[in-house]
Amino acid sequence: MFLHQRRARLAVASAAVTVLALTAACSGGPGDEENTSGEPGGAITVLTWRTDLIEDGTFDGYVEQFKAAYPDVTDVKIEGLTDYEGEVRTRMSTTNYGDVLAIPGSVTPDQLGDFFEPLGDQAELAEQYRWINDKSFEGTSYGIPVVGNVQGYVYNKRVWEAAGVTEFPDTPEAFLDALQAIADDGIEVAPLYTNYKDAWPLSQWDGWLGAVTADPDWKNEVVESDEPWADGTDYGVVDGLVYDAVARGLTEADPTTTNWEESKRLLGTGQVATMVLGSWAIPQMQAAAQAAGEDPADIAYAPTPVTVDGSFHSVAGGDYNLGINVSSRNKVTARAWIDWFNHESGFSQAQAGLSPLVDGDIPDALADFVDEVELLTLNPAPDGKEALFGDIDTASGIVTTDPKFRQQSIDDARSGARTKQQVFDDLNTAWAKGRAEVGA
Amino acid sequence: MIRTLTTTGKYVTLVVASIAMLLPIVLIVFGSLKTGQEFLATNPFTPPESLANVSNYATAFTRGGMLRGFANTVLIFAAAIAGTILIGAATAYALDRFRFLGRSAVLGLFLLATLVPGVTTQVATFQIINGLGLYNSRWALILLFMGTDIISIYIFLQFVRAIPRSLDEAAMIEGAGHLRIFLQIILPNLKPAIATVVIIKGIGIYNEFFLPFLYLPDPDLRPISTALFAFKGPFGSQWEIISAGVVITIVPILVLFLFLQRYIYNGFTSGATK
Amino acid sequence: MTTAPTGLHGPSPVDAPPPAAPAPGGAGRGRGRRRQLTPYLFLVVPVALLVLLTYVPVANMFWYSVTDWDGLDRTKNFVGLDNYVEIFTDPQNVRVFYVSLYYFAGSFVQMALALYFATLLSFDVRFKNLWKGILFFPYLINGVAIGLIFLNFLKPGGGLDTVLLSVGLDSLVHQWTGDPAIANFSLAAVSVWRYMGLNFVMFLGAIQSINSEVYEAAEIDGASRWHEFWHIILPSIRPVVGLSFILAISGALSVFEIPYVMTGGGNGTETFVIRTIWMAFNRNVVGLASAMAVVLLAVVLLVTWVQRRVVPDEEVDLT
Repeated sequence: MFLHQRRARLAVASAAVTVLALTAACSGGPGDEENTSGEPGGAITVLTWRTDLIEDGTFDGYVEQFKAAYPDVTDVKIEGLTDYEGEVRTRMSTTNYGDVLAIPGSVTPDQLGDFFEPLGDQAELAEQYRWINDKSFEGTSYGIPVVGNVQGYVYNKRVWEAAGVTEFPDTPEAFLDALQAIADDGIEVAPLYTNYKDAWPLSQWDGWLGAVTADPDWKNEVVESDEPWADGTDYGVVDGLVYDAVARGLTEADPTTTNWEESKRLLGTGQVATMVLGSWAIPQMQAAAQAAGEDPADIAYAPTPVTVDGSFHSVAGGDYNLGINVSSRNKVTARAWIDWFNHESGFSQAQAGLSPLVDGDIPDALADFVDEVELLTLNPAPDGKEALFGDIDTASGIVTTDPKFRQQSIDDARSGARTKQQVFDDLNTAWAKGRAEVGA
Repeated sequence: MIRTLTTTGKYVTLVVASIAMLLPIVLIVFGSLKTGQEFLATNPFTPPESLANVSNYATAFTRGGMLRGFANTVLIFAAAIAGTILIGAATAYALDRFRFLGRSAVLGLFLLATLVPGVTTQVATFQIINGLGLYNSRWALILLFMGTDIISIYIFLQFVRAIPRSLDEAAMIEGAGHLRIFLQIILPNLKPAIATVVIIKGIGIYNEFFLPFLYLPDPDLRPISTALFAFKGPFGSQWEIISAGVVITIVPILVLFLFLQRYIYNGFTSGATK
Repeated sequence: MTTAPTGLHGPSPVDAPPPAAPAPGGAGRGRGRRRQLTPYLFLVVPVALLVLLTYVPVANMFWYSVTDWDGLDRTKNFVGLDNYVEIFTDPQNVRVFYVSLYYFAGSFVQMALALYFATLLSFDVRFKNLWKGILFFPYLINGVAIGLIFLNFLKPGGGLDTVLLSVGLDSLVHQWTGDPAIANFSLAAVSVWRYMGLNFVMFLGAIQSINSEVYEAAEIDGASRWHEFWHIILPSIRPVVGLSFILAISGALSVFEIPYVMTGGGNGTETFVIRTIWMAFNRNVVGLASAMAVVLLAVVLLVTWVQRRVVPDEEVDLT
């Protein structure tokens, strides 16, 4: 009996050990071995926000081409994150956030060096790439944009014209009137879709900041002001429009059931007329329209509905910037990926976006837009004040980089719990408090 | 008269409750068997056209990573259970068979720990797991599942008390040491407790979402619950596929339940009488 | 990793197979000393894990809560009770306490239903096992799955709306998650749906362990069903009810999965844990998040203490 039991024990023991060993072996992280050769090789992990491009195999294509260009590279693991900003932020509390990743919007300039590897001297890189200022700090650059966007809103031309709106609205009121005309004409879901549930699209409205007042220094001025949310200011117009559109019933009936993927189809089929997103969204919307059996030419792009000195403005800027994890063990290959991606992959063309390269072309989809609208690039913060906006933002508790505060604004607009002015007053008070705390 | 009314009343409440419990699940099953077009066009109550439409399930399994999710869950479960059983039995053995300095302190430590809801400490636990370098590895989950399970220890304690000491003494006379007694007398006699713990903990690990969500973001290492959650991203507008994923997640538990009902009931009730 | 186990025990079963000879296994120390050390050795790993994964975090939590740490900086600045003040003054923080009240109320409904069905099924009913199974099964379902099931059921035009429309109760149709006035009710109801089964089975088990002779005696005395319930059943199952109560409170405060999967915490459904996690990992104010966690812990401990006073349960005899 003893013997039998011992054998059974042994069997269980070895099974358990095997299982434990397997789990240990299978839980390797990115680039287990440090690449010290100085040449691209080994494996890297790339984090991306474009889960749709993983689904349809585009990224597989990129990986193939990259490996062909660098035969010593054994593997490029692409990890897609649906809620990119949120999920990456959590991972950045550890050292485990891939080798190459897009720098999240919530990282303030002074924190760049803590998380990301310096990519080079800002001035030097600025000769090759556009919009380098965004992710630079004290003369060093930490991120290179993958594509440039213009900001405005994407809309379904067929629905707009059917409702009688043929010109770009040139004031916020005109924008609301256009939406109202569409509502009166009859539309299945809503003239304006906020994508409240997925939350991150609400932050896209920030793309209009700067274009409203046609002021490349808007960010540097807002840190000096105690009333960023007022009539006619950038924040005032943007959040004002969000509030008004929701309060007038021009958005979806139940925001808690919106869905990003679904919204692409809704816009394509004309059940939704407008969404505020950067120009990066155009190809995705066109693809969805085609998949739904509609004409992709229905998808068009319009600038921020404000004219200054008679013309529309749009902020042109880098989309996500790719950076290298400061704790990466294969920085050489990571750098090779970034460079290859920007120069060879054709990503920005495929995305109908502006090329990040200084001498890059303008894609056909944006050719008309660029002719009619004045593009402006935002100025960086003056030396020593790069972290100021972020510090005030955090201290105030608003956290403008997180969509929560805009969700609350929408909640209030639906329930009437606070009027637009009350929302503005609360935000201003919090901002002023933040400024005082930081000593701005 | 009143008797028949009350009797009918009883059954009516039972039927209503059963409908309330089953209806949402049935609707998801319907949804999982419809095609994309069907799903959008029909009423949720309309049965699917073809009960053999398994394309959604195929998609969920392959593109949705459910197979990998199951594999990961099994791996984590196997390791965590092995650990839990050894630790739980070891603790029970030590606490029951010995009287030593600090015994009541240890008992108290375990008792007190039951009061702390796991979710509250995660902010701080995260720092520890990260500090150990275990973030984004299955070990983090295995460790957490092993180390924070007081219920199993109580179950083992109850059962160990029932093992007669005469067995121990007989073995000691034959010259067996404590380890041998533990392995060859205690553990085999704890089989019912082990079975209970395996079931309870298994269900718990299978359904655990918060811990893998926090500690294991790597898509290749995801267990079943976070794999299902990740469906909401790329398949967000394809509810027929999400439904299939939901059904796939429920089926194993349903099967387990149907076969092991008695043990499951016992497990939860005995866990309650701590 | 955890403290290195000595050869005597613990999760390294490779050491397990004892030698074939009947010599004492293990470290081979002197018999007297070994008997003294053995319990400690057996307990090293469990206690180490307990301390490392429960007590150390709790202690750290208290420490973080009085700093302004953001989880990343090397330095933590002591800020005294500022975080606690912020918790109770920021309306968004106070709001999450208010949201837990919905779940708390829900847990009373849950226990009442559980008690009702447990009593019902402890007497003669046909198909007992079937009802028992149906009522219990939802408890076993994965939280994410439940969230998705109900997203489908409660969406505009989904299952619930269809049922209401088909019986002519159009007026009752609401936006179950979209209407801020009822969103929390809906989510709390989903929570009740999920957890009632556990309470039910626990109560049933306790009721069934009541000696049947007591019922017979009561029936002879002419006691009615209600009498039986109030005077026999309830008192006998007080410990279980007490325990369920604590679990319900603790559960109501720690709600995470259902609201997170269903609404992401939006539209006024943000719960304590969702907000704490957002603060710790999205906003990186670990100090503030820890303070919130400390408050939660304090509330749970308080409730437990109150419950132990009001309904003292028989301690399981561990000594």
